[in-house]
Amino acid sequence: MSTLAAKTRRDLWRIKWQALAIAVLIGAGVAVSVMAYSSQEALQAARKAYYAQTRFADVFAGLVRAPLNIAERAQAIEGVTAVDPRIVKAGLMQVPGLVRPAIARLVSLPVAERGALNRIRVMQGRLPAPGASDEAVALRTFLDATGVRLGDRLSTVIAGRRISIVIVGAALAPEYVFVPAPDSAMPDDRHQGVFWLNRDALEHAADMDGAFNALALTLAPSASQEAVIAAVDRLLAAYGGTPAIGRADQVSNAFLDAEFKELATSGMIFPPIFLAVAAALVHLVMSRLVEAQREQIGLLKAFGYSSFAAAAPIAAMAGVIGLVGALLGGVIGYGFAIGITDLYADYMRFPVLEPRFNWLSFAGAAGVGVAACVAGATIAALRAARLSPSVAMAPPSPARYQLGPLDRLTRMIGLTGPAKMVLRGLERRPWRAATTTAGFAVSIGLLLATQFIFDALDEVLDHAYFRAQRWSDIAAFAEPRDVTAVHAIARLPGVLAAEPVRVVPATLASALRRERMALTGLEVDATLAGPLNDQGAAIPLAGEGLVISQALANRLGVVQGERVLVEITEGRRPSLYLTVRALTKDYSGLSAYLERRALNRLLKEGDIATGAMLIVDPSTRRDFYAALSDTPMIAGASSRDDTVASYRVTMTQAFRSTIIFYALFAGAIALGVAYNAARISLSENARDLATLEVLGFTHGEILQIQLGELILLALASIPIGVALGWALANGVSLAYGRDEMRIPATVTPRAIGFAILVFAAAVASTALLIARRVTQLNLVTVLKTRE
Amino acid sequence: MAHVNSDTCYEVRGLAKSYASEAGPVHALRGVDLDVRRGEMLVLLGPSGSGKSTLLNILGGLDRASAGSVLFEGRDLATASDRELTLYRRRSVGFVFQFFNLTPSLTARENVALVTEIADDPLPVEQALGMVGLQHRMDHFPAQLSGGEQQRVAVARAIAKRPAVLFCDEPTGSLDSDTGVTVLEAILEVSRDVGATTLIVTHNAGIAAIADRVLRFSNGRIHAVEVNATRRAPRELSW
Repeated sequence: MSTLAAKTRRDLWRIKWQALAIAVLIGAGVAVSVMAYSSQEALQAARKAYYAQTRFADVFAGLVRAPLNIAERAQAIEGVTAVDPRIVKAGLMQVPGLVRPAIARLVSLPVAERGALNRIRVMQGRLPAPGASDEAVALRTFLDATGVRLGDRLSTVIAGRRISIVIVGAALAPEYVFVPAPDSAMPDDRHQGVFWLNRDALEHAADMDGAFNALALTLAPSASQEAVIAAVDRLLAAYGGTPAIGRADQVSNAFLDAEFKELATSGMIFPPIFLAVAAALVHLVMSRLVEAQREQIGLLKAFGYSSFAAAAPIAAMAGVIGLVGALLGGVIGYGFAIGITDLYADYMRFPVLEPRFNWLSFAGAAGVGVAACVAGATIAALRAARLSPSVAMAPPSPARYQLGPLDRLTRMIGLTGPAKMVLRGLERRPWRAATTTAGFAVSIGLLLATQFIFDALDEVLDHAYFRAQRWSDIAAFAEPRDVTAVHAIARLPGVLAAEPVRVVPATLASALRRERMALTGLEVDATLAGPLNDQGAAIPLAGEGLVISQALANRLGVVQGERVLVEITEGRRPSLYLTVRALTKDYSGLSAYLERRALNRLLKEGDIATGAMLIVDPSTRRDFYAALSDTPMIAGASSRDDTVASYRVTMTQAFRSTIIFYALFAGAIALGVAYNAARISLSENARDLATLEVLGFTHGEILQIQLGELILLALASIPIGVALGWALANGVSLAYGRDEMRIPATVTPRAIGFAILVFAAAVASTALLIARRVTQLNLVTVLKTRE
Repeated sequence: MAHVNSDTCYEVRGLAKSYASEAGPVHALRGVDLDVRRGEMLVLLGPSGSGKSTLLNILGGLDRASAGSVLFEGRDLATASDRELTLYRRRSVGFVFQFFNLTPSLTARENVALVTEIADDPLPVEQALGMVGLQHRMDHFPAQLSGGEQQRVAVARAIAKRPAVLFCDEPTGSLDSDTGVTVLEAILEVSRDVGATTLIVTHNAGIAAIADRVLRFSNGRIHAVEVNATRRAPRELSW
């Protein structure tokens, strides 16, 4: 090894802790990237394999009832490779331990396993015995959530008939990876049961002999999904078909897509921030190194080393730091990816989920990280190259200071010597002060941007379930009924108030776009639900004027006062133009409201409702739900408290792990920036501080000077960091927003407090490290060295 | 408590200092006995590593002895706590360094004020700087001053607290001889004005003539003590 290489190696070793702090930042950037893309790759691979093994369908259609030979006609549609007709029936189910009955979906098993789509995978127990009429395989997530075990017997009412089933197996199904509650779009495992029975048994129980009411199809790779969907819709229209959907719109699959998108987003947003901060820090550290080694660099050049030889070690050191950071990040990122994959193994419900390592994201982030380090050091390296050999010979001269604008100010308020030292130090190196402040601000901003999501969730829930909707429970009829059915529900025990609601599936279309959704009809004077405007005031419904959510208006590209085409996809399937009378603000899904009577008039139907919004006395909920389960016309029920709870559980599960990682990384930034800034200024000030100590200053007084700068910058960065956090929160809310849930950029004092607290803890731990170093300053040796 | 002679500033007995090193212990001081009178002017002479700076560091409260005692006005510095040593340096000791050690971010006036702000009964800053002839350079930063001027600011800073003892470690080591003379004159003048006992460490034998007593060091011991019958003024020296 050449002598110069040995010098470089020792120089690097001397600044090892600072180098490590930078490497950790690079590592954080690489780790986030590797973590996000590797876990995403693992999930994608698991889903792909799962879908392939279980022959997950490409198109799904629902209908009222059709004879099985219609399915054969569907098979003949061009581009269709396989069809699987099924019976799917839903009813309320009393489950031991649950107050509110679960919604039970009974699904027929295929007669022949060959050609069957959306196959279930039995994880425990067995399939129903051939010919057994009361055996069923249950969705494992439901069993896990409710504690129902194999061998337990449950019952439900389907088509007015009570069916009793014994659970003989636990299964996972590609169609039900997540089973959202009907009115919340968020999974609620306890109240969403899926049970697979022999076809014979269900045909008999549901009165569906030789018929089906759900159709799944797979397509040839070259087939046009749109064309097939149109053909299927035409085929099933006569049998009460609701519009068929592609895989992208299938609820469980769509939920997974949204999850995957979040992972990808975090892989895109956060790593560049870490890498940029790391580059700035490398620049600071290397600049200081060049400054401290001016004489040595001058000496090398005086000996005849070239400018390049003098500058190259600086770049080499930065490259090594970047490389170490990148490797560190690769290892940590993979570790985190394994951790997250582990967490997701429970949460995502794939039968097999194995960790992956995404090489591309590693190579990309590592390359950017090393490049950022080298770029950060370049200015310092160029400065080293430009140094004249004569600096080695020049006598040491004190650092140049002059009276600046701050001095007029400081004279006015009569600061002490130490305070002036701090201020002039900042004034002399504004670029470094700015970099440090920016690094701190990024840390606070990141903390805030990861924290606000919990506040945002509170806001979403408060808005949706306490302000816009004010019911405590909601009951859905198996089919549309006369409004008198609501009166019957109102007489059930514990019901304090009841209002009818009519929900119809519809497609809203403007010149450019179409959106499939549910149209909600409410009473003119509804008190239990209603759209709210920007200010949170209720928007009254009147006549045939439509109130739609801002999200829907954006999707359709319409504004208030314009007309949209409303195609009802139920009953007589009328199409009509309605005027958008007002826009409502909400956070989840796409919504459109109309007065219920007007909706019924447009459908040319009587005084019809599809469900009842209720206020139920909490003390008699158990009685209410017992009575409701025995009411044959009810197909579903949900309660606000359960829905809110399931929202919290889902969102917490989805965000918790990543958020903890980001909070850790943000803390690492604060530490890395604070430590480097403090170490650099300590190395510059060491002589001054030792002199002060000799002059009789106490350690406390010396620390005030040494930490004064750090603390001033930390304080200055707080407002900037909060502003940055607010901006990041807005960015995250845009990037993370999905249809089921738009995240408002709600930054609360709690989140700000948390961010500042974590930040302060990081700065304080650096301050402690520095305090230790200051007390260990060796007075004698510091005074004997020139600079 | 040992007998306290009101005329004695330091009473040093059996002072030894050794450092551990890879090649075995290094003995910087090997048993020094010394009495220093109040107001006395001492020059400590000797080659590098002879122990003179080590003694100065221990007397100045920067370092601790390995053995022996150092009584300053009756108190033993060898057993003082860090806090007591800090207070000792703050109240009783002035330092002048070879490399000046001014704070580059503070002007001459502010460098002196740095010390007067924490002293009990300091001289006015302007007076201290006036004593070293720098009243017209008070608002200059160290980088704007010559080496001799910087060292005179350091002298003003050391003396402004009216210290009982003034330590000068190679005060002319970084200066040419004319400038060195000016600085020595400043040191003698101000230490006389505030009545400070003064110890100057140097390896420049030419300076010895300005002292009351000259201590010659070699190999960790005082091997000779010379008493000057008449002290000479710095102007009369040459080196």
